[in-house]
Amino acid sequence: MLAIENILVRYGSITALHDISIKVQTGELVALIGANGAGKTTTLTTVAGNLKPVTGDIQFENTSIASLSPEQIIRKGIAIVPEGREIFASLTVEENLKLGAYIRRDRSEFKRDLDETVTMFPILGERIHQQGGTLSGGEQQQLAVARALMSHPKLLMMDEPSLGLAPALVDQIFELIVKLHDSGMTILLVEQNVERTLDIVKRAYLLKNGRVEAEGAPEVIRKHVDIESVYLGSKVN
Amino acid sequence: MFSLDFLINALSLGSLYALIALGLVIVYGILKLVNFAYGELIMVGGYALFMLGNLPALPWLVMALIAVTIAMLTSYLTERVAFRPVREKSLTAILITSFAVSTLLQNAALLIVSSRSRAVQFPAIFSGSVRLGNVDIANRNILVIVTSTLLLIALTLLLKRTILGIALRAAADKFQMTRMLGVPANLIISVAFVISGLLAGVVSLFWIGRVGSVTPTIGLSPLLIAFVATVIGGMNSLEGAVVGGYLYGFLFSIISLILPQNLLDYREALMFSIVILILLFKPEGLIRGTYSGERVG
Amino acid sequence: MKITTWLKNIFTEHSTLFILITPLIIIALVTDLLDDTLTERIVITMFINLILVLGLQLFMGNGGTLNFAHIGFMGIGAYASVIFSMTPQAKSIGLPDLYPIFNPIQLPFLMALLLGGLIAAFCAAIISFPLMRLSDAAAVITSFALLVIIHVVLVHWDNITAGPQTLFGVDRYTDLWMSVIWGIGFIILAYWFKESSIGLKLRASRDDRYAAATIGINMVIVRWVAFTLSAFMAGIAGGLWAHFITSFSPKAFYLTETFVILAMLVVGGPGGVSGAVVGTLIVSIVREGLRTIESAINIGQLLPSTLVGFAEVFLAIALIVILIFRPGGIMGGREIRWLKKRPLSQKNEDGTNTTIS
Repeated sequence: MLAIENILVRYGSITALHDISIKVQTGELVALIGANGAGKTTTLTTVAGNLKPVTGDIQFENTSIASLSPEQIIRKGIAIVPEGREIFASLTVEENLKLGAYIRRDRSEFKRDLDETVTMFPILGERIHQQGGTLSGGEQQQLAVARALMSHPKLLMMDEPSLGLAPALVDQIFELIVKLHDSGMTILLVEQNVERTLDIVKRAYLLKNGRVEAEGAPEVIRKHVDIESVYLGSKVN
Repeated sequence: MFSLDFLINALSLGSLYALIALGLVIVYGILKLVNFAYGELIMVGGYALFMLGNLPALPWLVMALIAVTIAMLTSYLTERVAFRPVREKSLTAILITSFAVSTLLQNAALLIVSSRSRAVQFPAIFSGSVRLGNVDIANRNILVIVTSTLLLIALTLLLKRTILGIALRAAADKFQMTRMLGVPANLIISVAFVISGLLAGVVSLFWIGRVGSVTPTIGLSPLLIAFVATVIGGMNSLEGAVVGGYLYGFLFSIISLILPQNLLDYREALMFSIVILILLFKPEGLIRGTYSGERVG
Repeated sequence: MKITTWLKNIFTEHSTLFILITPLIIIALVTDLLDDTLTERIVITMFINLILVLGLQLFMGNGGTLNFAHIGFMGIGAYASVIFSMTPQAKSIGLPDLYPIFNPIQLPFLMALLLGGLIAAFCAAIISFPLMRLSDAAAVITSFALLVIIHVVLVHWDNITAGPQTLFGVDRYTDLWMSVIWGIGFIILAYWFKESSIGLKLRASRDDRYAAATIGINMVIVRWVAFTLSAFMAGIAGGLWAHFITSFSPKAFYLTETFVILAMLVVGGPGGVSGAVVGTLIVSIVREGLRTIESAINIGQLLPSTLVGFAEVFLAIALIVILIFRPGGIMGGREIRWLKKRPLSQKNEDGTNTTIS
């Protein structure tokens, strides 16, 4: 479904991604892991269209999206749950969700989706008229996921969804990811919580310094992570 | 001291200032652009009214509508031609662009019309007054209060009830995230400029209604008012701009009443000193907005 | 580093200065030989504008924040120098409400000029210190507010100024070479400042204020020094201009002049001294050309009404076009030089050692 092919991405004069190739098949749950600054978030940001690759290509359902704007890319069916959640603090929960459905201008469908969302995330139903900024971290994370789902994406990209959440909420988030995956959603997940992530995915990429260090089943990645922590004295998580 | 007369005067001044401030902040919220050309939109509205006045026998309301439309169109065009291409460059670049657009429009007026002031015709209702109790209230003041109230209600509905309005508020908070939900950046920014032009156009009707004539530099005073009002109220929220506008209107009326004549000359200097002090010690203004400082680019 | 040791390198390391100054001297010489009043007028104005642009570049180019108040300090310098240079008789006519204490004071022109610059710098130093920590919109609005405040004060404080009226009776001291010498002196100063340690610190804080802070750069202090110095230059320019034009009102020190100076800097490129010089030259030439066309049309009565604002419209459009296609200005922040800057202690072709210190 998604094929990132040898992309090179720069922030000004600094090269953030040297040569990244990543594939996600329909229905898959794939994780990107790696230390801070390895290029995970940059990869997602580039797919979402906020950064442009200097060389290389990004294919989504066999058409190139590398040169499209963020607003065109979401219309192709890619939604993002960004790092730090990026909830609109001054907008109500309902308005946040409405914007999530921006590309689908159909009132009756929105009503139905809203009902579904509220069933899936009951807490959002309780807070529906509250401002996004008044929600707790865990609630905001749910809202960010719910908002992304409102566009009915084919591919959901999640950036550090467990970051900054209490352990009990982290469990909730991972359960939610599994649930979404089980329901057929294709997911590209970026996480720092390596152990938990490798428990739920079948395939992952280990990024290091803007390159793909390893790729494959969780066991393969685990081996690499272990070697790194032994030889370099740094644990990835 | 605070007679009904005074209150109505202050309220009408405040209403006008609120519209002025809102027109500036609606663009600032999204582009973080302090639009120096905003005052010139008011000037454009005034000249449109002046030129239409030369045409025979158009009803005044129609002329006013056309003038407002021209201000909106000008605002849209400045965005399309000048601001859009520099939008993603530095903040300094876009600010200087707005300064250049301001100079351009002013001198275009000089070139096309003249530096001398041009009298603008207003219908009799503007100059009349009604007697309330034992005071005369100028019709113009009532018109300002009513129009701005209606306009503010309409804008609130637009911003709260329509998807475009919600997107506009979202974009003022987190522009990139809004784009990642599929909201086209250009559309949102254009809408912000059109609303800014609408407000400038309506303001021009009343501003020029007060002065009675239009000159190329007429936009400077409203621009300065917008600066003061938005800084008082808080630049990071639309509500702040409106509150700041009303507050400044009252503050201005009170100062004009109590300040001795020889200090009255320094009124503007005083207001701007207050502006600097607020920016230094309470930069978020009275209404702390929730918007992040993120800039487009 | 001392300016003197560094002027020795004017043909090698600092060839920028040589390349910038030579054509200016040629322009001055030619003007002197031509002995045409109009040309002289244009060239003197250009050199005075050059000082203003250099001052703006010093703060804005190195510091990265827009400053609208610059021309306000020009006004302060103009009025302050005039108070000290006018004869008591002229003052009693031109400045009838002047504080009596100033009335008998008359200083030699150069002293009055310097005093004007220093007073502008002093005002800037006092007002600006708390403002220097502001950035972005807040910095822009405060500097704009400052311009308005200075303007209002100049217009209304008629114990110092002639109020909103035109002030007459200033003697003309500024001649061609006076403006040229100050102009060239300030090119050297601006270039030296940029390369000096404080200029470097300022540029570092412009590029990343947080990173600069972590290596111990106090952004507020370096900005403040630059702002004060830049106001001094504006003050001198104001003094020179006042004693050239001999009659003026506060209107001269407001938005129109601000736009012209800003346009010169942005067209040339705010990032360097070369940009300031090139921008001033080009905009001056284009502006005079347009003015000539404008007045030719007006004198020939080719149009039913007089043509005004044509030059400004053109300049504004040119400025926007430059910002769209070349936001760094013509020079793009680089300095003109004929040799590439060498790395530290590299042998020159002629065998001598050049060290950048």
